[in-house]
Amino acid sequence: MQRSLIACFFRASLCAEGLVNEDVKRTLDLSSHLAKITAEIQLANHGASRVNGFTLALEAELAPHLAFIGVKGEEEEDESLELKETTVHGQSGKFFEAQLPSSLAPGAKLRVKVETVFSHVLKPFPTHITQAERQLVVFQGNHYLYSPYPTRSQTTRVRLASKTVESYTKLGNPTKSDETVEYGPFKDVPPFSQDAMKIHYENNTPFLSISSITRTVEVSHWGNIAVEETIDLRHTGAYLKGPFSRYDYQRQSDSGISSVKSFKTILPASAQDVYYRDEIGNISTSHLQVLDDSVEVEIRPRFPLFGGWKTHYIVGYNLPSYEYLYNLGDQYALKLRLVDHVYDDQVIDQLTVKLILPEGARNIHMDTPYPITRSQDELHYTYLDTFGRPVLVATKNNLVEQHIQDVVVHYTFNKILMLQEPLLVVGAFYILFFTVIIYVRLDFSITKDPAAEVRMKVASITEQVLTLVNKRLGLYRHMDEVVNRYKQTRDTGALNSGRKTLEAEHRTLSNDISALQARLKSEGSDLAEKVGEIQKLDNQLKDLVCRSCQEAERLVAGKVKKDTYIDSDKTLSGKRQELVSRIDSLLDAL
Amino acid sequence: ASVSGFLSLLSFTILFLAWLAGFSSRLFAVIRFESIIHEFDPWFNYRSTHHLSTNGFYEFLNWFDERAWYPLGRIVGGTVYPGLMVTAGLIHYILNLLHVTVHIRDVCVFLAPVFSGLTAVSTFLLTRELWNQGAGLLAACFIAIVPGYISRSVAGSFDNEGIAIFALQFTYYLWVKSVKTGSVFWTIGCCLSYFYMVSAWGGYVFIINLIPLHVFVLLLMQRFSRRLYIAYSTFYIVGLVLSMQIPFVGFQPIRTSEHMAAAGVFALLQAYAFLQYLKDRLTRQEFQTLFFLGVSLAAGVVFLTLTKPSLPPLLRYAKIHIPIIASVSEHQPTTWVSFFFDLHILVCTFPAGLWFCIKNINDERVFVALYAISAVYFAGVMVRLMLTLTPVVCMLSAIAFSSVFEHYLGDDMKRENPIKQHPFYPVKNSSVYSKLIVTMLMLMLLMMFAVHCTWVTSNAYSSPSVVLASYNHDGSRNILDDFREAYYWLRQNTDEHARVMSWWDYGYQIAGMANRTTLVDNNTWNNSHIALVGKAMSSNESAAYEIMKSLDVDYVLIIFGGVIGYSGDDINKFLWMVRIAEGEHPKDIRESDYFTPQGEFRVDKAGSPTLLNCLMYKMSYYRFGEMQLDFRTPPGFDRTRNAEIGNKDIRLKHLEEAFTSEHWLVRIYRVKKQENRQALDHKLRNIAAKQKYTSKKVLPSRFH
Repeated sequence: MQRSLIACFFRASLCAEGLVNEDVKRTLDLSSHLAKITAEIQLANHGASRVNGFTLALEAELAPHLAFIGVKGEEEEDESLELKETTVHGQSGKFFEAQLPSSLAPGAKLRVKVETVFSHVLKPFPTHITQAERQLVVFQGNHYLYSPYPTRSQTTRVRLASKTVESYTKLGNPTKSDETVEYGPFKDVPPFSQDAMKIHYENNTPFLSISSITRTVEVSHWGNIAVEETIDLRHTGAYLKGPFSRYDYQRQSDSGISSVKSFKTILPASAQDVYYRDEIGNISTSHLQVLDDSVEVEIRPRFPLFGGWKTHYIVGYNLPSYEYLYNLGDQYALKLRLVDHVYDDQVIDQLTVKLILPEGARNIHMDTPYPITRSQDELHYTYLDTFGRPVLVATKNNLVEQHIQDVVVHYTFNKILMLQEPLLVVGAFYILFFTVIIYVRLDFSITKDPAAEVRMKVASITEQVLTLVNKRLGLYRHMDEVVNRYKQTRDTGALNSGRKTLEAEHRTLSNDISALQARLKSEGSDLAEKVGEIQKLDNQLKDLVCRSCQEAERLVAGKVKKDTYIDSDKTLSGKRQELVSRIDSLLDAL
Repeated sequence: ASVSGFLSLLSFTILFLAWLAGFSSRLFAVIRFESIIHEFDPWFNYRSTHHLSTNGFYEFLNWFDERAWYPLGRIVGGTVYPGLMVTAGLIHYILNLLHVTVHIRDVCVFLAPVFSGLTAVSTFLLTRELWNQGAGLLAACFIAIVPGYISRSVAGSFDNEGIAIFALQFTYYLWVKSVKTGSVFWTIGCCLSYFYMVSAWGGYVFIINLIPLHVFVLLLMQRFSRRLYIAYSTFYIVGLVLSMQIPFVGFQPIRTSEHMAAAGVFALLQAYAFLQYLKDRLTRQEFQTLFFLGVSLAAGVVFLTLTKPSLPPLLRYAKIHIPIIASVSEHQPTTWVSFFFDLHILVCTFPAGLWFCIKNINDERVFVALYAISAVYFAGVMVRLMLTLTPVVCMLSAIAFSSVFEHYLGDDMKRENPIKQHPFYPVKNSSVYSKLIVTMLMLMLLMMFAVHCTWVTSNAYSSPSVVLASYNHDGSRNILDDFREAYYWLRQNTDEHARVMSWWDYGYQIAGMANRTTLVDNNTWNNSHIALVGKAMSSNESAAYEIMKSLDVDYVLIIFGGVIGYSGDDINKFLWMVRIAEGEHPKDIRESDYFTPQGEFRVDKAGSPTLLNCLMYKMSYYRFGEMQLDFRTPPGFDRTRNAEIGNKDIRLKHLEEAFTSEHWLVRIYRVKKQENRQALDHKLRNIAAKQKYTSKKVLPSRFH
């Protein structure tokens, strides 16, 4: 530890040697609630040896608020330089060491662009305002570039949010036009020089900050990535003092000018099923606009946000996985944004990212674009999970728009595991149906119910009786046909044979029925009596059939006249119908 | 065997479809709005279920809710019927155990529709026991979609009634089954179901009076049997013990008059059985003396029990004259229109079913007849008791329809085969057309019933009332989400322990959505506390300030509909506040002060000065006098009451506007803290020193 510190110190002092800031152009962009400070520096190596890197310094007052720092070469397409935090002996503040891609020869010059973003450095003053008042903020910074190297010449340009400026420090007689204040040029400024700059101006831009955001990404290999962001939002401008009047807010356009009514969140172009809700339900005051390259959600909190007010909401959407998930055999790589856009010039005080990978993902490795704190991995259980999905948890504080970058997660996943969930469903249904089948087919009663058995027996017997009786009635009908044919053909032989078969079949059927009747009786059913009654009626019916048969014989033989035959036939058939209907009603009662 | 298999498949399919139809017709509100808890009471149920599911069952039973009834608090575990919360919590627990990660809110929202399916099944079972399978299926279909039941069980209406009707029907089914079989098995099942009912709804009293009544009438009809004896004796004892396990019910079943009928019938049944037993063993003379002795003894006991309890059940309805009960709209007597609206054709056909039952009377049909008669009576007394009438109407109408169909459709089917087999059977050709006409007519009626049910459900019973919707001329919809806007503002931007004063209607919603302490809520157990809030609302500002100070009020929330013409706002409810306040504080508040000399309640210039200067008026119309809604009306024109307000220059001294929702529907005022006192002279300070330190809370009577 000790050794490395010393090494660091040596390297830092080594770097400092001979480097000079030839020309510095600083721009302080204070037009939003962030302080974005860009410095274009022309570095010159006045030393004797080649230089591999240089040191960047931040004032001790601003350093804790640093959200982002990046160094780029002169050209737009230049890669940003790698930064390492170091210390400089005897100086306060924060220091970064930038590695140059190629070392700088003695006498050579280099242009770099240093971009820094600070959050929560614009302090509202006064801290409490009423609804009608405008919001004034104070920025306190440095007139000079804070640098370990001497500076030959520098200018500072400050961009403000409005023309209205209460006061500003007047070092070197700055010029102010509209929304900008220009300081300098300052010549030959020694290293580590500081001079307090203070600007008090009107700034009604939305002072929103996300006090915490939890971004949950759930990856499914069935083609979907679900993203959900739980956001705590706070208005960090001047606190609202006194009443909030809805009347003024609705009728006067400049009432509550620093309040936030709505803002736009830009989601990926393929986002679908967007929802926007909170603990008590859907937030109905929002609009969704699908553009070619993005989906814009107009997020309107339930109520306008005034200074000091906060709200909490959830935004979620689905993404198709083919745009973000890549694979080579069992090797998978998930590439998507670690943090996404919530509103322009966003500040995130605390970010928690939870990446839920599919159940069974192994060898997980996460590549982040910038250092981020990893917490203990968790397990997540959701629909049809058995042993849980691995969850990668990571946290980071103080993030701004520049942090919207991609994270890559590599893992291996056996594709066979995808069948697990459908099989689980199939198995569950299989068990269900099987249980039902077993329950319905098998008798689980511990005692036999004699009554039920008797009932079933009786039912089967009565069914037999029914068919037999119907058959018997059919015999009579058949006999009628025989008689009719006989009346036309006068074939006595046919009649007699018909009569014989009738007798024979009738006997067997009647015997069967009486046997069934006896069985009914033995079962103790009162239906036996009814069957007996049917038998009685049937005897009468059979007599009638026989009589009609005899009558027909007599008619054929000429023993009776046709008229009388018709009369008697009529009465006979009337009686028969009566008997049949009585039998029918008895059958119905069975 | 194949026919019975086919029949059971058909029954299963029909029941399943009834379940599905019942479930889906309750989803209008979810589809039109979202999965959200409706109305007022469900918010409390949801909040307690949430508490149950996050903190566990024992924590729920011991829950002391310090956010309600400030400063009194509420012992929730001992003052609720926990059946609903436990059911939802259990379902949520089981689903999560199976890794079905459903939010507790969704369980609560969809609980009532799911249980409506169970109600349909138990109605089917009960009707099958009473009549036959066909009637059972019809009854299941009726109960699945009948508006009288849907009104209490749409998705989001997370209330006791949603599960209680199932418990009620299932208890009755098991009771009928146990009377039929005389088996202890079914009776124990009946007791368990009764226990569930007791845990779910105060309406269990209906069961514990109807079953004894059934037994009593059976005794009168000389239908005493051993089956009845077994069933009732078991039911009474086990049911009594089980019902006393619910903390909220406690010892009521052996103390209050509502439960005495059950005890009396139990004693009577024992005596009757004993006499029956003696009859076989004693001579006639001995029996007579014993009988007289017994009767006089019983008469004495009955006399003592009747005189002891102070309030016979009928007197409970006299309570309707207490303003706080009368102020609830669902406690009003039912009109004929609502009978037809809620039951449609069933209300006409169910007497026919009742007649069929009485014509072919047996033990269980006596039961359904008594059920019908008592339910009709209760439904006539109170609108909300329409709910208990609905199931029996469905069952009896199903019996009526089923009998008609059996007569006009069934016979032909049955005789079709015999006709082909023999020619002697006479065919009744003449009646085919009349059968056709009757059948068509009946089917038309049923179709109209289905249409009516869907229409009523869609139009009358599917509004969450938390979210309002208005429609533009082009049919597009505007959502007025003011309630949630204001409640969420309270939740996010006030101190966690802030106390919010509002009329009791909004207590549960404030607790549920804003998660803040309320003074009074929909559990209106403490009339004097409510009256105090009513008094604050109806006093002038400085008098109200004293009351609010004594109650530690931080915010006052009111509902004001004047901007959008919402009629259920606080000014329209204001007279109830005055009446309730007058009931407790007749010296300070007089209802007549709020009327004009002509006896009108007016908010315009002609209104009474007391009204125009009371706190509620001032809060409702603060700065409203400057607001011009459109060019045809003057500024300060109240759309709800169609009047230009009488007091346009309202200044508030002790309150300030803290929040007003977008359409002014909810207005929240902050009660200002007392200003620093003037520096006192040395001399004065000495005199005051003794009094100044007495707490304000100790002497509340000073402010009255």
